[in-house]
Amino acid sequence: MTTLPDTERELQGRFAAIVGARHAIVEPAELRTYESDGLAGFRVRPRIVVLPSTTDEVAAVVRLARSLQLPIVPRGAGTGLSGGALPIAGGIVVGLARMNRILDVDVAEQRMRVQPGVINLDISRRIAGLGYYYAPDPSSQSVCTIGGNIAENSGGAHCLKYGFTVNHVVAVTLVTPDGEVVSIGSPVADPVGYDLLSVVVGSEGMLGIVTEAVVRILRKPEATRTFFATFPSTDEAGATVSAIVARGIVPAAVEMMDRLAIEAIVAATGVDWPLDAGAALLMDVDGPLAEVEHTAAIATDLARACGAIEVRTPRDEQERALMWTGRKSAFAAVGRISPNYYVADGVIPRSSIGAVLREIAELGARAGLRVANVFHAGDGNLHPLVLYDARVAGEEERAEHVSGEILRICIKYGGSITGEHGVGADKAAYMGELFGDGDLETMNYVRCAFDPGRAFNPNKVFPTPRLCGDRPGTYVAHPTEIAGEAGRG
Amino acid sequence: MIDSAERVVPETLDALSEAMRGCHARGEALTFVGGGTDLGLGYPPERVDRVISTQQLARVVDYAPDDMTVTVEAGVTLAALQAAVAQRGQRLALDPPRPERTTIGGLLATNGYGPRRARYGTLRDLVLGASLVRADGERVRGGGKVVKNVAGFDVPKLLVGSLGSLGCIASATFRLHPLPEMERTVVMRCASAASVRALCVALTEAQLEPSAVVAFGVDGEFDVAILFEGFASGVDQQATACATRARALGIAPSDGAGDATWRARHDAARTRGDVRVKATFRTAAFAEVDRGALAPLQRTLRDAALVVYPTAGVAFCCGDAADAEAVLAALAAARNCAELAGGTLVAIDAPGDVRQRFDVYGTTPGALPLMREIKARFDPDRRCNAGRFVGHL
Repeated sequence: MTTLPDTERELQGRFAAIVGARHAIVEPAELRTYESDGLAGFRVRPRIVVLPSTTDEVAAVVRLARSLQLPIVPRGAGTGLSGGALPIAGGIVVGLARMNRILDVDVAEQRMRVQPGVINLDISRRIAGLGYYYAPDPSSQSVCTIGGNIAENSGGAHCLKYGFTVNHVVAVTLVTPDGEVVSIGSPVADPVGYDLLSVVVGSEGMLGIVTEAVVRILRKPEATRTFFATFPSTDEAGATVSAIVARGIVPAAVEMMDRLAIEAIVAATGVDWPLDAGAALLMDVDGPLAEVEHTAAIATDLARACGAIEVRTPRDEQERALMWTGRKSAFAAVGRISPNYYVADGVIPRSSIGAVLREIAELGARAGLRVANVFHAGDGNLHPLVLYDARVAGEEERAEHVSGEILRICIKYGGSITGEHGVGADKAAYMGELFGDGDLETMNYVRCAFDPGRAFNPNKVFPTPRLCGDRPGTYVAHPTEIAGEAGRG
Repeated sequence: MIDSAERVVPETLDALSEAMRGCHARGEALTFVGGGTDLGLGYPPERVDRVISTQQLARVVDYAPDDMTVTVEAGVTLAALQAAVAQRGQRLALDPPRPERTTIGGLLATNGYGPRRARYGTLRDLVLGASLVRADGERVRGGGKVVKNVAGFDVPKLLVGSLGSLGCIASATFRLHPLPEMERTVVMRCASAASVRALCVALTEAQLEPSAVVAFGVDGEFDVAILFEGFASGVDQQATACATRARALGIAPSDGAGDATWRARHDAARTRGDVRVKATFRTAAFAEVDRGALAPLQRTLRDAALVVYPTAGVAFCCGDAADAEAVLAALAAARNCAELAGGTLVAIDAPGDVRQRFDVYGTTPGALPLMREIKARFDPDRRCNAGRFVGHL
């Protein structure tokens, strides 16, 4: 056992009194697990990690942390891709992994009450036998938790038709930055007052800690029809998506992959997708049987009319699942063709897809880097993966530059710097390019209403940390700003 | 109070900001008016020096049919928005009563909706971005113009239902949906609320996806209209399956002849009378809520109409207060019943003598302290609809 300074032992003891000795972590070796989230390039060692198991414990932990003036970072499964759960040096990480119980399933009301550490896919698994499911399906759904989904307002392929986490969470229990326990939203329609839930969802750990959530569960659609189509280039694939949408069809999901993404997915998963295609589309339509038969047939015709090389339909559910596994493993798969890569998460108007992809390709070519594209084509949410080799001098910097320029392209086309991964520590610098000072100031009103002491994730999301109560126009760097402390690699 | 205050009718968004900066400098209290269809909502404002009308802010700013998004100024009526996008076979999937009068700003401020909520949700599910002229006159925006966006706090959604208490909504961007190829309504009479509920459960079990389910209360029984929309083949299949499921429950469905009338009946029912009440409840508790709240209220109001969205757990009961004492008693009992069913009862409109003795919002939400903090940040001097919203914010 390492020797720790007395102060750290004492700190551990005070939190251990709330959560038990095993769940208050100060040993450097154990802290390492919590140094980063899915954005592994950023690492910061927290001072302490605490793993509470009840709402009351969370509230007590928050109150104690506040009294000790420790900045607080909530953490779910640590799969986030924007550094939202990146610790703060000298601060506390509150991990919700132990709060992983499904508390209530109410099929009659189509509601389910869960703790924040419940894994996204486990919600659907629990009710699959009843013919119900939970709609938001981030690609990490087999490991990410609902608490993290709420923090990031997570999306997924099927959000095109069904909406995001914010459309599927109806109530939460929130431990506020003051350590109070507050109920927000309602399982029943139209709770009175401000829709605070709509800012808590997507708040990236800045407004408190969600310790319970009531989610909406949906009846499974009667039928789903899937097709996988390949094209000479992303132009024809993009034209197909536009044509389908113009015909009044709202697919459940339309995913596009370019040549490099296909290559990576084939290498990683062994799916038999053709390596000579310039682009592929994977589409689901779902709903009443007669409707999806009709819309799937139209979509197939449109794909052919737009120049598809090949249109495949899965023979059975197993083959369909394999197609989706291919798509959902795309990020990890890119690791097979490149030692390192950056994941970007930009959004553009759907009609600009062709133009933006060309700009991204030129950008990559100028930097001498390959860019793989896998994205939610239906809603214009791009995930360009910028490939590089960190062992080659200068490549990492060039890749970082390309990733940043991709976000600027998205802003230029009237889009956004993040569609589902969040701003976090990663993209805070770009918020000032997307929004004006007044816009950010107004968002800060929301933050200050919940957390005037700025104890929660103080260095995330906003480009210029600002104290609550500042006069408009005067910027004050917050003492806990740690931009210089966060290391890479 | 609203009638006596000076009316300001800015013609551009810049003029709106300018006017509100002036009001800020002079410390004037404001209220905002769009189409004026829901001015009864909330408590009477504590003070009003000026009324700002969005009537002249009626431009469609940007319509991107290929992206299925539209940006409009706050004073655009819903009907005008729908007409602009219908040319390209699209619509905003929102259908409250009085679309020719009600404005986008007003709809956002009051969280207005209609029967299609069953499938498309409410404005929080449709709004992508918005600009707000704050109490200090600065115009700021939140959200964006793309359907997917998680950059920063979603202030536009926070504005939905905020009743002008956070500033003046100046413009908004929405996601659009395709106009359906076909729509068909199956109409039937159910003998009780329990029967309506059983029908809704059966439709869900059958994996049908109606765009709307509307039940009209008629002496303890209900006329039910179930709307299917989409491509013809799917609509045919669903309407047939719906009728089959109804018959299995002993309910006799029509052949669809009532298609045209239910909509007008719905709009008339939701807008009649001087007492208009919205109750919400757990959908499975519809029968109890009908027995304990909705039916007695309908009997107590004169010329009353009861419209229920049973799949959403929402009911509107509207009529005239013939006997204020009896109405007050019925309202109190109805609220108690709705709250026991997990919901709320809000008086959307009521005459002064009823308001004085019946709190329009009811039990204070537990998160009111946080709501007060929000209000204090956006409008520290309490000049925007002062005292009108929940908790007299």
